[in-house]
Amino acid sequence: MKIAREDIVHLASLSNFSLSDQEIESLGKDLEDIIGYISQLNELNTDDIEPTYQVFEMENVWRPDEIIVQEAERESLLALTKEEKDHQIKVPKVL
Amino acid sequence: MKYTPTIGIECHVQLSTKTKLFSEVDNDARGKEPNSCVSPVDYALPGMLPRLNGEAIKFAIRAGKAMNCEINRSSRFDRKHYFYPDSPKGYQITQFYAPIIGAGYVELPSGTKIRIEHAHLEGDAGKLTHFDSYSLVDLNRVDTPLIEIVSMPDIHSAKEAHDYCKELWRLMCFAGVTHGDLYNGNMRFDVNISLAPEGAEKLGTRAEIKNLNSFRSVERAVEYEITRQTKILDAGEKVVQETRGWSDATGKTTPQRSKEEAKDYRYMPEPDIPPINLTDELIEAEAAKLPLMPVDYRKRFTGSINNDILEILLDYPELMRKMSEIDEKYIKSIANLFTSVLLAEEKSVEYLSSLPDAKDLNELAQMNEQKELSSTATKEVFLRLFDPQMKGRGAKNIAKELGLMQENDLGALEAIVDAVLAKSETKKAQDDFRNGEEKVIGFLVGQVMKESKGKANPSAVQEILRKKLS
Amino acid sequence: MKTANKKVTAERLVRDALEKAKHFADYNIFTFLNEEGAIKKAREIDAKIAKGEEVGRLAGVPYALKDNFLSREGETTASAHILEGFVSPIEATAVKKIEAEGAIMIGRTNLDAFAHGSSTENSYFGPTLNSHDKNCVAGGSSGGSAVAVALDIVEFATGTDTGGSIRQPAAFNGIYGLKPTYGTISRYGVVAMASSTDCIGFFTKTPEDMDLLMSITSGQDSKDMTTLPDYYNEDSEMSSLADISSLRVGVIKDFDNESVDEEIRGALKKKCELLKSKGCEIVELEMPSLKYALAAYYIIVPAEIASNLSRYDGVRYGFRAEDSEDLDGLYENTRSEGFMPENKRRIMIGNFVLSSGFYDAYFLKAAKARTLIINEYEKAFSKCDFILTPVSPNPAFKLGEKINDPVAMYLEDMMSVSLNLAGVPGLAIPAGKNKTGLPLGLQLVGPRRSDKKIIEFAKELI
Repeated sequence: MKIAREDIVHLASLSNFSLSDQEIESLGKDLEDIIGYISQLNELNTDDIEPTYQVFEMENVWRPDEIIVQEAERESLLALTKEEKDHQIKVPKVL
Repeated sequence: MKYTPTIGIECHVQLSTKTKLFSEVDNDARGKEPNSCVSPVDYALPGMLPRLNGEAIKFAIRAGKAMNCEINRSSRFDRKHYFYPDSPKGYQITQFYAPIIGAGYVELPSGTKIRIEHAHLEGDAGKLTHFDSYSLVDLNRVDTPLIEIVSMPDIHSAKEAHDYCKELWRLMCFAGVTHGDLYNGNMRFDVNISLAPEGAEKLGTRAEIKNLNSFRSVERAVEYEITRQTKILDAGEKVVQETRGWSDATGKTTPQRSKEEAKDYRYMPEPDIPPINLTDELIEAEAAKLPLMPVDYRKRFTGSINNDILEILLDYPELMRKMSEIDEKYIKSIANLFTSVLLAEEKSVEYLSSLPDAKDLNELAQMNEQKELSSTATKEVFLRLFDPQMKGRGAKNIAKELGLMQENDLGALEAIVDAVLAKSETKKAQDDFRNGEEKVIGFLVGQVMKESKGKANPSAVQEILRKKLS
Repeated sequence: MKTANKKVTAERLVRDALEKAKHFADYNIFTFLNEEGAIKKAREIDAKIAKGEEVGRLAGVPYALKDNFLSREGETTASAHILEGFVSPIEATAVKKIEAEGAIMIGRTNLDAFAHGSSTENSYFGPTLNSHDKNCVAGGSSGGSAVAVALDIVEFATGTDTGGSIRQPAAFNGIYGLKPTYGTISRYGVVAMASSTDCIGFFTKTPEDMDLLMSITSGQDSKDMTTLPDYYNEDSEMSSLADISSLRVGVIKDFDNESVDEEIRGALKKKCELLKSKGCEIVELEMPSLKYALAAYYIIVPAEIASNLSRYDGVRYGFRAEDSEDLDGLYENTRSEGFMPENKRRIMIGNFVLSSGFYDAYFLKAAKARTLIINEYEKAFSKCDFILTPVSPNPAFKLGEKINDPVAMYLEDMMSVSLNLAGVPGLAIPAGKNKTGLPLGLQLVGPRRSDKKIIEFAKELI
């Protein structure tokens, strides 16, 4: 499967990467190889087969609706961010 | 040309569970400091996993049942991906492939049925505040449980859009699944609207107006869009498919910026939450918890309460529950009393937080009926009944304490009338009446009322006066 | 496992371990050495021992923590630049359980960034070297943990296994490595790679140590909805080994060809002979769907990776690229600088297989293939009690040999990933060495929840 440059740029934008020309080139080749490999699944007949998304055997795992003191709260969480202001996380302006 | 508007509405309802959808922190952040209701899960630290709140599932079942919806036995969660600081995980946990609530309908007061396509459970996003050179992020609202209710395009006017939103709000409030506080964004509406020439089979190109938070703005935005799109079509131009924002201040919708790639949400089944498989027993148990709904009250009170008044009262679930405890014969007068409070009193919300006991209301209505209280006095006692400190005192006792009971004892009334007639200043009026001046009876009744300090029953007084002066 | 007592103190054990860690510094095993914290904890335990207090089943035992486990000691980086500076305010459930029994973390170990890799060469901190040959890779992604145990620095180390990340480095370094049944040990507080296949497990020098660690860490956790109620410590048919002579062991015909190193196939045959001599029946299995496991894996797992790694955006913690003018710039700069090339490849592949237009052809197709693989294992376990296979097609390879060929690197995982897709347990066991002295490894596979039985059975294979 041939992957066009604009497809790589699109995937990079979905992934929030800004890639150099060199990266576009090298990643492009890698992705082509990988997609080539995984495309061999097309050989497999999966008619009438239900998909599996989880291999966990239980269902309806719910918790009670009760407030519990958390292991880390506002101060220790916000201490992790680079910029904090008025108990909020500060980010550069949104264009 | 004449066009038919076709409107579909997506409504987000914040559920009033105690804790959030995926963590055990306080779900009611109204009036709380930024980021004070945030767990490590909401903050999306590495290695954090969602912990599903079972109550939210039950709320969703009730909400679905309130809209006459099928509840899907099997449902599960999916991830919807987008980058924005209001979404710490980089995805929203929602139900894209297998939602919990299936098809149903909402019946408007007019009797029109608006079909529900489906409704699903999902987590809300956080909040950004924008400044000139930066933005601040508050995650308090992250993963507050929401149900998103998706209607079919069955709505065809601004009024209908308004009525649908309002009816949804009532249903959710009656079902007890939300605080229903529109001011705080407990319910938000996205409206899809397109116009097509009358009779045309194919729908026109639609615009989506996002994030409306009152019924009035839904109605105004739809009116505006109908006008806007009509002009475009009349000019032979094409409506652009886009997302638009509404401004209450300008009364206009304007296009919203959207990143073109943002549309690919790359939905993926959520691997951290096991699937939901509901039993009939659980669904029925939740359905059984639903109280009487607006449609039930409409059936019950049609005939005894005027429709316009009933529609006002139906905005208040607690009040309707109170109404259902009122004696049949007093329903109309109590409904009128409530309506007068709701329409006239400034603090109607405060009043509603402490509704009188049905026993007191029945007693009050009875006193009024038996002419023990004048209508003015009835309203005065009625207002006192909302005072928490008056609880348990009884309407009659309150009326007595306030000296508002009417004097109906004919002997006592006659004595007062005699005393008034004996006064020299009433002589002229007595003569005038006897000479056929009918209207002076009002003056004489007034004098008697004054003498009785307002407690006399005016119609009884008039009767006695007429007898004495004949 | 040597635990502390009055004669051999915890402090002694910890100091010895730290000393060895420093001695082997050139192997690049640790991303953080917990000198101060470990000695402090050791003294606390010694004080308890002196007073005759209860100190737990792992009292004073030095262990190494793969750097994708959250704990308050040291930075949790997952060997990725983008988590630089992240000191966790919370602790993984597995860490909590181990430490409650008195184990002491002496260091955090190197891995392929975010566990993406099979050689530990994709680490922001550079590769870890093989314990038996410094020119060879440690295996991965849990390379640092495997080498720490193989060089006898620590008694055990934690690992994560999404597609072989415990078993393959265990095999490359000649020790035991267990990938338990999916859902056995809580994933809470462990940096997620692919949620539906991630498993927490351990490296040990003996099956007995593995059993002890499993009995300590398995069980349901309210913080991870995908944990099973504790079956490991329950007596059941699944956990007790029947008379060995009644057991049937399957070998997979599809793996018995040139694609697998001859000496590894030889090691497998030797173990089969041993089992036959003990009365076991060897059953040949045909599992044609396994051929597609790797393709399915490299669709499902990148999709979950792309999703799970969306949260690393520079906003709330870890590395944030400086001088970004606007939000989009912050995202792009942080993620472009913060991720390793292999992270980027997997994220982009994930976004490709999930994007509209490709979802059905790739993600959905792989999810269906997964069903076929599960069915195939179920069928296999109706014919045998265990399956014995190679872990990887070859012993440890040379550093740099496959780093520029992602598909060749992925092929390393061809015999390990199907277990993760099916959720079944697998234990890597040592099986001698090749001519050049590199360890050879095999894996014992059982049906779901047969973890204890596998560990018991491994004792028969020594």
